[in-house]
Amino acid sequence: MEKSTAKRLFIWGTLISTVIFIALTYDTLRQIPRRTDDAGLTQQVVAGKWVWQKKNCNDCHTILGIGGYYAPDLTKEGKLRPADWLKKFLKDPRAVMPEPRQMPNQHLTDKQIDDLVAFLQWVSNIHTNGWPPQPEVASANEAAASSSELSRGRLLFSSNGCTACHKINGMGGNVGPDLSHVGARRDPQWIAQQISDPASHYPINLMPSFKTLSKTQLDELVQYLSNLK
Amino acid sequence: MKYQTQKVAYPYFILATLLFGLQVIFGLITGAKYAWNVDPLMHILPFNVSREIHINLLVVWLLFGFMGGTYYMIPEESDTELYSPTLAYVQFWLFAIIGVTAIVGYLLGWSWGMPFTEQPFIIKVGIVIVALMFLYNILMTVLKNKKWTTIEGVLVAGLTALAVMFLFGMFFMKNLSTQYFFWWWVIHLWVEGAWELIAAALMAFVMMKLTNVDRTVVEKWLYIEVGLVLFTGITGTGHHYYWIGTPAYWLWFGAIFSAFEPLPILFMVFDTLRMAREKHLQITNRLAMYWAVGGTIMHFFGAGVWGFAQTLPQINKWTHGTQITAAHGHFAFFGAYVMLILTLVYFMMPQIKGLKNYNQTKGFVTFYTTVFFMLMMVLALTAAGIVQVYFQRILGFDYLTAQSYMHLWYGVFFVSGLCFVSGVFLYIYDFFTLKEARSAIN
Repeated sequence: MEKSTAKRLFIWGTLISTVIFIALTYDTLRQIPRRTDDAGLTQQVVAGKWVWQKKNCNDCHTILGIGGYYAPDLTKEGKLRPADWLKKFLKDPRAVMPEPRQMPNQHLTDKQIDDLVAFLQWVSNIHTNGWPPQPEVASANEAAASSSELSRGRLLFSSNGCTACHKINGMGGNVGPDLSHVGARRDPQWIAQQISDPASHYPINLMPSFKTLSKTQLDELVQYLSNLK
Repeated sequence: MKYQTQKVAYPYFILATLLFGLQVIFGLITGAKYAWNVDPLMHILPFNVSREIHINLLVVWLLFGFMGGTYYMIPEESDTELYSPTLAYVQFWLFAIIGVTAIVGYLLGWSWGMPFTEQPFIIKVGIVIVALMFLYNILMTVLKNKKWTTIEGVLVAGLTALAVMFLFGMFFMKNLSTQYFFWWWVIHLWVEGAWELIAAALMAFVMMKLTNVDRTVVEKWLYIEVGLVLFTGITGTGHHYYWIGTPAYWLWFGAIFSAFEPLPILFMVFDTLRMAREKHLQITNRLAMYWAVGGTIMHFFGAGVWGFAQTLPQINKWTHGTQITAAHGHFAFFGAYVMLILTLVYFMMPQIKGLKNYNQTKGFVTFYTTVFFMLMMVLALTAAGIVQVYFQRILGFDYLTAQSYMHLWYGVFFVSGLCFVSGVFLYIYDFFTLKEARSAIN
């Protein structure tokens, strides 16, 4: 190949790729408002995004999978955890989650906390082409449905972040009580009530309410816990 | 050294070397936070700040290295003295001051909060000014003699893209998806676009000087390589647009184009090896040759293989946002850019210092130490990442539980990092004490 041919290859290659990229960029910018709940992008969400940046949250946490790998990804956090849990946590991370690896208290004002939570909730509605993926085992179990309430309950337990506070058979956090034998101590009804309305048992406890669980999910979770004897 | 003004490169290489040392210290602190979990520095230097400094110093010292290399190369390529050495020194001090201000700012919690582009707006404006001063000086030098070599053309294209692309990361956007869309124009189109052009041009120059192979052949290959880099790399940006709120067609475009991204790197490996074999000179600077050849090979594995391993959406879906990415990041930056700057330093510094046959012993120990322990670090992070993908993504364990299974690998990562840093410190010592080999003195 001559040098002049190589030069033409360089120019055309660059040009073609640039044209494709610009065209797709144009279309992407057109589609992003639809895929990201543009109507819900309120002043409060924007203020929350600024809190997120100013406190440099992104160098510990990933969001949309991008950032530091020292702390959990927050893409779907706004859906995963109830707002009152997020607010309690942001007010004093250590009180809610006294794990060895901690989040330093950012000393946010109440308004900043509300803004940040609004931002996280807005982010959780971004259409991410199915990312993060559903855990493979969970999907497999769902396929094998009928007699698997126990293992589905176990997965609900872990996917709802219960393990962050509660230990079962030596695995999990130390914030809440050890649940390895909770089925021997409590009846299913009590457990169900504790999950959906913790304050009804202890008005001043840290556990957030998981009212967001569907009836079936709650049943599966309760069945799993009741079987821990 | 043919021209006096090539000496301008000296302070740039000094600062690049010192900041490299500082970068790896912050890397070690950041790594320790993974290895120990409990962080005694949490209130003084939390993880986000130490990571922010670690990755910013990386970019800054590499830029100092690129600038030094360019200032050394351009007079020789243009057959004329540098347009303005004064401007080059002013630019040096301005960039140094801006860099120090940014780092001190980070320690005080002054951040803009987008990874790699955490610099507050005013600092970013300063960086743009530095880039323009640099570009102006280089352009005026090239125009002085009206002699455009292909190497100069590719270099100037790279430098222009470097300045232009940075603009897309300067502004606050309300929509996180849009913000990240353009953030990648800086991050990806820098490291897989602009920087590749600059690196390829500098590499072509060094290889030509080391081996004295024919310029037309070098420049022909340069065109083919950078042509392929840009063809695959520009639309290849799409492999970052799988999951950030962008349309699903990026899964196709990103996958197809980025799957070919290792190709130009593979060409570079063959090209470098071919030049090394076809050398028309007795190579006295074996060390520079080692860094150059080793660099292209590490570049291929780090950017090419480790990148390709997770570039397809079917795999990336599981690995995205895990330590697999961190492994790839360390490997690719080291192979593609760190080893290139060290090639430049070991090729150019002896000439700047007027050494005919310098002592290469410490340089070789540095080479083997850093390459070996970087490989160990990468393997440890990869193992940690695989554990993470399995427990967190496949089994669905919560984040911290999954982390607890990764501890062994964080330990290996940290110890390897410690050994790597000792290699870097040996390099710094070698840099400042470079002298004639004993045999040459005799």
